[in-house]
Formats: sequence, structure tokens, C-alpha cells
Amino acid sequence: MLKLCMENFIALSASSKKALHVAKISAPLPVNILIYGEVGVGKKLLTKEISQNTIQYEAIELEQLIQQKNVDLESYKSVIIFNIENILNNKQFFEKLKNIKIIATSNLDYKDLQNNFPVKIRLDSLSQREEDLNELSKIYTEEANKIYLSDKTVKDIKIDISQNGLSLKKSIFKSILLNSISKDEMMDIMYNYFTKELHIENKSYKDLLEVFERPLLKASKNIYKSQVQMAKHLNINRITLRKKLSSYFEDK
Amino acid sequence: MYNDDFYKSFITESINPFILFNNDSKLIDFNYEAEILFNYVKPSVLFDLAMSNSPHNFGFERKYINLQYGKSKFYAIVVGYVDDEYIGIELYKQVNIEKEVAKIHDIELVNIFSLIEISKSTNFDLSITKIEEIYDTSIPEIKVNINDFLLTLNECFLLFKESELFKIKVNLKVGKYEIIDGKKHNIIAIECSGNIKLDLSTKLEKQALKSHINIFELDNHIKMEFPMIL
Repeated sequence: MLKLCMENFIALSASSKKALHVAKISAPLPVNILIYGEVGVGKKLLTKEISQNTIQYEAIELEQLIQQKNVDLESYKSVIIFNIENILNNKQFFEKLKNIKIIATSNLDYKDLQNNFPVKIRLDSLSQREEDLNELSKIYTEEANKIYLSDKTVKDIKIDISQNGLSLKKSIFKSILLNSISKDEMMDIMYNYFTKELHIENKSYKDLLEVFERPLLKASKNIYKSQVQMAKHLNINRITLRKKLSSYFEDK
Repeated sequence: MYNDDFYKSFITESINPFILFNNDSKLIDFNYEAEILFNYVKPSVLFDLAMSNSPHNFGFERKYINLQYGKSKFYAIVVGYVDDEYIGIELYKQVNIEKEVAKIHDIELVNIFSLIEISKSTNFDLSITKIEEIYDTSIPEIKVNINDFLLTLNECFLLFKESELFKIKVNLKVGKYEIIDGKKHNIIAIECSGNIKLDLSTKLEKQALKSHINIFELDNHIKMEFPMIL
């Protein structure tokens, strides 16, 4: 079985299977193809499924090169252009590229008013592609576990798909990284932080103590629930604890 | 003096449909063009059209209105009556001379079913629309302008986007052919229908004209015909 990694476009959900299918059958045709969708849905990866060795440009960059006559368009048979919605002069741009097959990506707002793209492939957001989301989460978790020598599963991680694949990857890596930090590494991080803070501003002991106390109190509140239990387990006076909780969590 | 038959012959031979009704909406007389028109529209519809556009007093009135029945388009009508018993209507046909000579350029051999598949997959949401396909798979790869062909399909399919059912039938038209650049070609027809009332699309017509595809728009279905160039 083909081991999926992020070199491939993941297509396990019905809508992404359809998108990949259209991309494959459109690939050999001499027509322009537009792939559109939200940020992080896999538009760039899908362009690779259509054409592997095609030159790639950001739309703005190519438009500038054309204006400056710094690109030999006649040498291209096809070109991949990212973020086509950023083009300033559409008519002129497409006129210059009329003999070249364009594979472009865009956001959802782009309107192809001049019908430059006979094939328009929509990629849905990850929230609508459950199977793809599960597979991607698994892949990113495995990658992050390898790098940080961790053994977390997807269930242990709070994922963020507000920016689809981008925020998903970031949230998984961040979560596994933060969970794999040892006591010494944490103290190193805090040492670096305190060094920087003390160097920049003349901060008091009380100001910087917050960095240590806030997460400690938050965690113990989650575990022990009541202030009585918290005071007992942390071996701290209840009145002192209440004062600290009030200053960190109630006033702000 | 010329007799009445001579004048009547002009109506009989006219390229404009002419129909005479009595006041019960019964057909009294019509010419050849009207007979063809009846294939696409019921006489009762034309009677209603005549009644709703008749002059207030006895006489004749011309109105410029755009109408389409089948493949024929009309840009004006004349309605007239001289007594309470009969009412006549003549529809002025719009003739498109530009379409007469077909020349095809930038054409490439392609499987048209792949193009239909692409257009279908990118224009329909299958959770809204159920698609039924009847294809004559004996149709070989043919030469078309792929870009224009796809754009025409897109414009056509877009009209059915909200339909719960979309039927598409692709077949070879028996006994019909088109002559392009002096060569005879069979005709392929793509018929699309749905269960919504279609808003006729000028964008589709323009795109089809550019693609050398003949479009016939009828109630809730659209037929596209084009030559099978091998």
C-alpha cells in the first residue's frame, strides 16, 4: 500500500476524491485549470498532481516579470501560478499567456469573469472532509512524534483547523513539542525568558513570578477542582491561595 | 386586378408564421411556417398571445417583443382583427445569417465523455442534484475546440445547478449531417433536462455560437448539436 505523506494530495473524502479525479482527467488537456478554496486546503499539492515539472510563480511576481519583460514566456508550454486573485490587470495578463496552459490557484473570492478557466476545481475546507482530516492528523502526529521522540496519539491533541492544513500542522507540532519538554528543558526556556525580560525592563520578582505561578495554579485547578483540595495538595495556606487565584484569574 | 389567391400565396410562402383563429380559439387557417411552429408551441398559447396583444379597436397592431419557440426566435408580432369573429397573428422571424458558414479552428481529438465528466463534476453538487446519464458509447474520439466546448458545457450545466434531477443523453443523430469546409459530418446531440424551469441564457447562446454548437432551448431541456469531426 502506498504510504501517504505530505508529498501527495490526500484524497480519502468524497469531495477530494472528486477533485483529484477531475484534476487527473484534465491534466492532459490543453486547457487552463483553476483550483480554488480556502487557505491550507491543499491547492498547491493538487497542482503537483496535474503537472510535476512545471515552472511555478506567485501571480504578482509573474505579472511584474512580464511588465519588466524579464521572462521568456515563449519557452513555456505550461505554468503554475499561485494566488491568481492578486493579478492587477487581468486582461493584459491573460492576453500575454494566451498560448500557455495555466494551472492556477485562488481563494474563494476570485471571479473568473473572462472565462479564462474552462476547468474550475473547488477544494472544500477540512471541516467538510472528515476522512482527509483524520489522515492528515495521523500523518502530522507521526511526523511530530518522530522529531520530538514522543508517542502521542491524535486523541491526545487539541487540533486547530481554522486555517485547514496550515493550522492543523502547527497545532499538532506545537502540542507534541510542548508535551515532550523535560524539566531541565523547561528551566532552560524559563532561564532564557527571564534573562531577556530582566535585560529589557527592570521587572520585579512578583511580576516574573506570574510566569511560574499562573500555569501551576491553572493546572492544579483543573486537577483538584476545589480550592480546599488545591490548598491541601499544594501544601499552601487557603487564604494565600485564594488571594493568588483572585489576582491571577478574577481581576483580569 | 389580381385575385385573392395571389395575395394569399404571399402569406402561404412567407418565412413568418401566420395563424388565423376564430373567437373560440379554433384554428381557421395557417401557413407552412406556422405548421412547423406548432411542433414547438401549442396553438392555444399563440391564441393567448394574440389576444393579449390585440389592438383596443378593430385594426392591426405591431409589437416588438422577443419570443423563442424551439430553435426559432421572433422579434415582433402583428395582431389584427376586423370583426368579432376572427383574429390573426403573424410572428416576425429573426434570421441569423452569421451562423450559415461554419469554420472550425484549433480543434483536437478528444473523448467528449471525459469533457462531460469534467464539466459535470465541477458544476454540480451531487448532494443536491441526482444525475442520470444515457451515453452512446460507440461515439469515438472526435475533434473539437476543447476550450470552447468545455466553456459551453459549463454554461449549459450551470442552468441546471439547482435542479434536483439532471438527465443527460448523448447520441448520434441518424440521417443528419453538417457540411463544414466542404466535408460532410454526422451530428452528435447532447440533450440535457432537469426538473426546474430554465431561464434562457444569452451567455450560453454566445458561447455556443463561438464553439459552433447549435443550441435548442425548449421548456425544461436544452439540446446541443455539433458535427462529429474525426
